[in-house]
Amino acid sequence: MDQLAQHLLNATILGGTYALLGIGLTLIFGIMRVVNFTHGELYAFGAYCMYALVMLLGVNFFLALPMAIMLGVALGATIEMLLLGRLRGADIDTTMLVMIGAWIAMQNTEQWLWSGVAHSINNPFPAEPLILGPLSVSWNRVYVVVVALLLIAATYYLVNRTRLGKAMRATFQDRQTAALMGIRIDRIHTATFALGSGLAAAAGALLGPIFFVAPTMGDLAAAKAFAIVILGGLGSITGATLGGFILAFVEELGAGYISSGYRDAMGFLLIILILLVKPTGLFARKERIG
Amino acid sequence: MSKLVGLMASAAILAVSASLASAQDTIKIGVTQPLTGAFAASGNYVAQGAKIAEDEINAAGGVLGKKIQLIIEDNKSNPTEAVSTVEKLIQRDKVPVLMGAWSSTLTLAVMPKLEEYKVPMVVETSSSGKITTSGNPYVFRISPTSAMEAKAFQPLVAKMGIKKADFLYTNNDFGIGSGAEFSKMLKENGVQVGVMETMDPKANDFSAQLAKIRASGGDTLFVTTAVEQLTLILKQAKEQQLKVRIISCGGSNSPDQLIEQAGDAANGSFHTVFFTPWFTEVTKNPDASKRYMDEWKKRGHHVGGLTEGFRGYDGIYVAVAAIKAAGKPDPEAIRAALWNVQVKGVYGDIHFIKQGPAGKESAQNEPAVYLVTITDGKVAKTTF
Amino acid sequence: MNRYLPWLFVALLASVPLWLTDFYFLHILITTGIFIIAAMSLNLLLGYTGQLSLGHVAFFGIGAYTSALVSLGFQVELFSGFTVSLAPKPAWFAMLCGVIVAGFTGYAIGKLSFRVRGAYFVIVSISFAEVVRLVAVNWVELTQGPMALTNIPALTLGAGAFEISFLRKPAFFILVLIAGVASFILISRLVNSRAGRAMIALRENESLAMSVGIDVTRYLVIATIISAAIAGMAGALYTHYIRIVDPDIFLFIYTVTMVIMVVTGGKGTLAGPIVGGIIFGFVPEFLRAMAIQPEVQWIIYGVLMVLVVYFLPQGIVPAIGRYSASRKRLPDADALPATSTQVRQK
Repeated sequence: MDQLAQHLLNATILGGTYALLGIGLTLIFGIMRVVNFTHGELYAFGAYCMYALVMLLGVNFFLALPMAIMLGVALGATIEMLLLGRLRGADIDTTMLVMIGAWIAMQNTEQWLWSGVAHSINNPFPAEPLILGPLSVSWNRVYVVVVALLLIAATYYLVNRTRLGKAMRATFQDRQTAALMGIRIDRIHTATFALGSGLAAAAGALLGPIFFVAPTMGDLAAAKAFAIVILGGLGSITGATLGGFILAFVEELGAGYISSGYRDAMGFLLIILILLVKPTGLFARKERIG
Repeated sequence: MSKLVGLMASAAILAVSASLASAQDTIKIGVTQPLTGAFAASGNYVAQGAKIAEDEINAAGGVLGKKIQLIIEDNKSNPTEAVSTVEKLIQRDKVPVLMGAWSSTLTLAVMPKLEEYKVPMVVETSSSGKITTSGNPYVFRISPTSAMEAKAFQPLVAKMGIKKADFLYTNNDFGIGSGAEFSKMLKENGVQVGVMETMDPKANDFSAQLAKIRASGGDTLFVTTAVEQLTLILKQAKEQQLKVRIISCGGSNSPDQLIEQAGDAANGSFHTVFFTPWFTEVTKNPDASKRYMDEWKKRGHHVGGLTEGFRGYDGIYVAVAAIKAAGKPDPEAIRAALWNVQVKGVYGDIHFIKQGPAGKESAQNEPAVYLVTITDGKVAKTTF
Repeated sequence: MNRYLPWLFVALLASVPLWLTDFYFLHILITTGIFIIAAMSLNLLLGYTGQLSLGHVAFFGIGAYTSALVSLGFQVELFSGFTVSLAPKPAWFAMLCGVIVAGFTGYAIGKLSFRVRGAYFVIVSISFAEVVRLVAVNWVELTQGPMALTNIPALTLGAGAFEISFLRKPAFFILVLIAGVASFILISRLVNSRAGRAMIALRENESLAMSVGIDVTRYLVIATIISAAIAGMAGALYTHYIRIVDPDIFLFIYTVTMVIMVVTGGKGTLAGPIVGGIIFGFVPEFLRAMAIQPEVQWIIYGVLMVLVVYFLPQGIVPAIGRYSASRKRLPDADALPATSTQVRQK
């Protein structure tokens, strides 16, 4: 019974970061319809920023996080303007291929700069875990889930309650009309991509200190992000949040009770299952597939 | 038209590669190590140690009147890639002797190529018994086998009061071999073996396995994996309040790196190592140890790598000793010469005994094994 | 003249083992050849039917593993007490099994995943490849997981005095060449047939194709079966050449390599994957000779891919075709690719 409670606790914490990843991608993939292969690289980028800031430049651990996120936002905006600018309205295939090229270039740049050896980031939390009865959780992970939830709430507010958010939703529902209404489409595209990328960077910056920072860390994260987006339904932030938690629970319980080796497979099996049974995802609005 | 372009491109590249076959004014030694991927930390340390040996040897005049040149290829912690690096080194660079490939799985993967092309390889780290018992006469291992390690550990079982042990090891030849040898030894000594959990070499979350181990209720946990995963395991074990005695096996555990990266979580753990840089006085050849350590620190390499880099250092010295005895950079002559090599290395007095099926024996060294512990953020001798 | 050029090329390649003494270079040619075959099979799906299948390496790997397992023999316990075992079989039989199993997988995947299109299909295909990889990693009893299947026997044909062994590189090179030419002919026959035209029709405009009565799913499945079978054959060739296979063969990066070959060469053209394969097979060696690190190589590929999509969206072969057509000042029907600007109905 204790084991189960521990698994559930672990899953909740993991779910927060997965939700961040998923929301970031649902904005880009779901709303912008860009199969964003660089999402994993932004995740890794966030982690590398934390490494550089905290370990190499000695910046305070808590200050480094918003800095890493800002850098992620900036990188996302750059990618969008540089690469996707010319491809507005192009095939989904074309943008996808460009994103693949960008992904390869980015990951290998990271490896070239930082070498293939995994780096670790020190954190200022006490080594003793927080004990809640029979359960224990490290302070670092508590911090991660708290920050993740804050960011999710902030994003929700941004997209659903601000003018910028309204402009985003309008642009992707109907570009022409939005443009006619005076919305700067280009800026909105850049802003949405940058926001999605910033969230991915945040997830990486939060998880980097818990695990390791290595050039390939983004690949698995990106794959899971796609699973979450599909699970929750394209474009739905609520869906992505819930999807993140659902994936975390499935993974954690599957690993704990079925097989730890197939842990990462859970996400992919979930995607395939959902796409075959209910392709629109659990929480999406009605839309045509393909 | 496009075919023509392709033809011309091929011809051009042919010409370029042909012209790049440079003059043989150095004696080349091929090195294949995991410089990227799951074992990158250790692979890089070994390569650094090898380069120290290269520079020392060249400063002393090289061998057979020529300088030696290490050609280091990255096998990316992957067996297929390891085979590819060995092909490159043998076919393209024409090296007469190799050192590699770090992980047992990688070494096992390249062994058929050694036999096919008849080039000997000095095995500096791998621990799986299979490497020297497969009947491959081109394998010369200076690192201990898991069986030797388990045997050296045997006297401590009673002294440490181990009654029930669990295992956690990485899902490859290194981990599986170590788990098998140690569990066999423990059972022979009356210890109950609990669960034997595995993990993918690339995994970084072990909460599921650790929860099962906690439920198993043993007093000791034997872990075998590379240092990156070991760090995470120590941290996560502490997070999950796993209060067992943790012993890491395999010798690639870099205790200093563990202290630095796992912090307090590393305290109270035990590690089998094959070199004790903290107490060089107990090593067989303190002079060699000191020489190696001084140069390592002078180059500013990470102090955590001392327990790994010496493997590359010793490996190159062994290869060069054989080249010298052979009198020429010829693979067959070097192979014959390796059998009689005696090097006073950091591993100890390196020499080779026969192991494996008669007529096709492989060579095996018999190094010392030490057990250290970490207390208060420092490495200490164990006093049993 | 144009008609004989390909055969001249093949003849030149066939003569290579006679004059090329550098075995390392021959090794590069062999692995590049195998990858070109895989790229041609991907082109069938990507270029001709327009389906963005990014899980293609799964078929390659399934062919490889099946062939390895059948030639090594295996024994697994499926569930309590029920074991399946197979004694080692000759390599040629194993390769055949590899092709069949891969083709069958193509059929299964085709039937299942063509319920969705576009971006969803992309993700299903990637997920499928990842699941297969994880099975290969974890089902250690069957696949040896990260420890890899080693000592895979080389291919030998015939028996006794007439035995030909494909262990040595020159022989294997000829084998790959034959396989490559055979695949090329098969694909070009398919593409120029009625089925091929149906596939192109559904690539250009699926709804319209359906409306004139083309059974879209049927043709997609046919294309997938053939594509998967050819990829499986390439995988089987690979295992019996390299003689080791591990789960990393299923890594996404290999699909990406094939995609780069097809896209930069020219998707939807027969020569495209060949040109792309030659470039991306040889360029790494060329760059290594210039002492450029592997990471920088990949950065160059990434940039190259982006540039190709921008400036030569059809790929290199069609671009050269247009160039030579414009120089001849005659509309040369052979030189123009089978693609045209695509207006996707979404």
